[in-house]
Amino acid sequence: MSEKLGKIADGLLHGKIDEVGELTQELINDGMDPEEILQKGLFAGMDVVGKKFRDCEMFIPEVLRSAKAMHAAMEKLRPVLSEESSSKAGTVIMVTVQGDLHDIGKNLAGMMMEGAGFNVIDMGIDRKTEDIVEMVKKEKPQILGLSALLTTTMPKMGEVINALKEAGIRDQVKVIVGGAPVTDDFAQEIGADAYAPNASIGTEKALELVKG
Amino acid sequence: MPKINQTIQTTPSFRVLSENQIEMIYSAALDVIQSTGARFHHEEALELFKNSEAVVTDGNLVRVPLSLVEKAIKCHPRKINLTGRTGKYKIKLEKDVVNFGTGSDLPFTYDRETGERRRTNYNDVVNAARIVDFLPNLDFFMSHGIVQDVPNPQVYDRHQFMAMLKGCTKPMVLTCVDGDGLKDLWKMASLFRGGEKEYRLEPLFVTYIEPISPLKNDKTAVEKLLFSAEKGIPCMYTPCPSSGATAPATMAGMLVQSLSETMMASVLTYLKNPGMPLIMGGVTTVLDMITTTYSYGAPELSLASAANTDISKWLGLPMFSTGGCTDSKVLDEQAAIESATSNFYAYLSGASLVHDVGYIDSGVNASLESLVMNDEIIGMIRQMGKGINTEDEYLALELIDKIGPGGEYLTSEHTLTHYKNWFQPRLQDRSDYETWVREGQKTMNDRIREETDRILKEHQPEPIDDKIQKELEQIIDAAEKRHSK
Ligand code: B12
Repeated sequence: MSEKLGKIADGLLHGKIDEVGELTQELINDGMDPEEILQKGLFAGMDVVGKKFRDCEMFIPEVLRSAKAMHAAMEKLRPVLSEESSSKAGTVIMVTVQGDLHDIGKNLAGMMMEGAGFNVIDMGIDRKTEDIVEMVKKEKPQILGLSALLTTTMPKMGEVINALKEAGIRDQVKVIVGGAPVTDDFAQEIGADAYAPNASIGTEKALELVKG
Repeated sequence: MPKINQTIQTTPSFRVLSENQIEMIYSAALDVIQSTGARFHHEEALELFKNSEAVVTDGNLVRVPLSLVEKAIKCHPRKINLTGRTGKYKIKLEKDVVNFGTGSDLPFTYDRETGERRRTNYNDVVNAARIVDFLPNLDFFMSHGIVQDVPNPQVYDRHQFMAMLKGCTKPMVLTCVDGDGLKDLWKMASLFRGGEKEYRLEPLFVTYIEPISPLKNDKTAVEKLLFSAEKGIPCMYTPCPSSGATAPATMAGMLVQSLSETMMASVLTYLKNPGMPLIMGGVTTVLDMITTTYSYGAPELSLASAANTDISKWLGLPMFSTGGCTDSKVLDEQAAIESATSNFYAYLSGASLVHDVGYIDSGVNASLESLVMNDEIIGMIRQMGKGINTEDEYLALELIDKIGPGGEYLTSEHTLTHYKNWFQPRLQDRSDYETWVREGQKTMNDRIREETDRILKEHQPEPIDDKIQKELEQIIDAAEKRHSK
């Protein structure tokens, strides 16, 4: 069985989406502890991906293929994970705020988070504050990721945070913000929990936030 | 005796694509429009398509038969004239006439006093305008920065135009919030010509509009397109695909997709009111696959833009290209390399408007110094574009014979006449070492900074007449009131 774990890690590294999904299912069927599959197969593989990306040995297209493979594995694994393990790979809502149509960065950040094991719900672009709050109530994510690329729509991020407070659910979700005109100062001003200048730092911050 | 069968090349000649390659790309784009289609998120646009030969399915997916596409694309004027507010500066947008200018809406600026990065304000835009008004090699102005110190972000575009007009008398390219914003900008500009119809004869600006690649058209973009078509406002529909993310990772694929997007807009404006002055465009670049940056310094940006310019010339449309910009965070060697190479390529390609001159930090940060540096670069490039004259006076056979072996040319009249056609740098240093030391060992960066200071201190554009100034303010006030409700 441990040979299959190694194959999973290797499959992740080489972006073998179907193979990683199938191997994960096989191991579940074989009766292996889901936590072990997660730690020794998937996280082990993605750790190498992360390192190779930092060392410029892997590039975004390869990393995103790995992330897709991770996603395929998590689809199989999530239903059988214990509550504690699944919150380590919790849910993230990603959304571009109202009035803003930019989504390349948000999508990329979302895909990278999938690669880290998160379950990512993408709400798309130009979404009203009320809709975002409703979705948070419904899905109860660990993390809400807000994206804005325009100085004119940045204030909407603050609006969302205030609306979460008014709805009495601000302490149930960590808010992380990003986008070209957004800064750390701005994130603090509006009371966000974290700011990320790019997708990989975003993923690191998200992991830190769920660890608490 | 004059010769027969001679070909004289008065300027260098450059192209990326052969005519056959252009035909391949054009033909592929027609297929995309006919088979894949594009989405339009706008009711009136969908109605216009439904009432034409186009087919609308899935709510908003529009496919157009190529007969209609080909009819539409032939209806745009081949040239556009723009005139600045005072009439002193005029530019022609047509094949192989290259005008350089800034980009727009940069959220950050390095404060010239503190050196810190901060948010761009109204005064920064006025200053950029004054610099561009002065610099001889910049021909049109986009706002450079985005005005953020205004009461309501939804009407920032009117304030921004005001700041631009204050500082600059050259023709402009304007971004705007939505259709209502465009209407106000157009009303403001018309004041300088005394009426709507008069304005059409001498437009002051081109509207900047973008589709969302791949193949999507949002409500505000379409609003602006339809208003431009209605009023005959020159407009560019300029895709900003990032190769590998929102367009194929091959340059040809990106060009096919971009051209489809532009031609879709052509069809829509044709259905609304044929003949809108349309400019082709595209910031066709790559998404850097390590940093995820939308690159403003990539050689692929220049390559794809020049190829796009070849296509635009073949179609008979003016072209909005890109140059003079960088991914570097500061005005350093990287900035100089990327600015120079992209300007040169765009110039050789013969694009009508080369924009984003002065962008640093991948389209996020503004630098006045970069404008000053690029002015010098463009001066050099224009010189290289002049080509070689081979008439008798220039072959100088008589002169060579007269001076003879071992003679000198310094004191000849021929030299006195012709050296004046050389490029004389304003900022580059060609002095000897001792002189350079004596004059303070200044680097290019020092000289650029001093020149920027000098222009800001000395150059004032012709002021706006009081009556027009009041009318401009009324339009802005009215917009503020409408939006504060
Ligand atoms: C591509 C682009 C577009 C495309 C967007 C296509 C799309 N599907 O997203 C189109 C053409 C549609 C577009 C439209 C407009 N744009 Co635009 N656009 C850009 C451009 C050139 C690149 C953005 C991009 O994709 N970058 C690549 C991605 C991968 O990077 P990113 O978005 O920054 O995301 C990374 C990080 O920021 C971070 N991140 C981002 N979000 C989040 C969220 C979370 C939770 C986390 C953790 C991380 C994170 O991680 C990402 C990956 O590493 C930028 C310039 C720039 N350098 O930002 C201008 C820019 C943002 N646009 C600008 C403007 C002005 C506009 C328009 C208003 C133009 C107009 N007048 O029509 C319209 C507005 C439309 C609207 N209502 O939104 C200005 C903004 C000015 C301002 N107001 O602040 C910019 C800065 C360019 C400029 N100087 O003019 N644009």
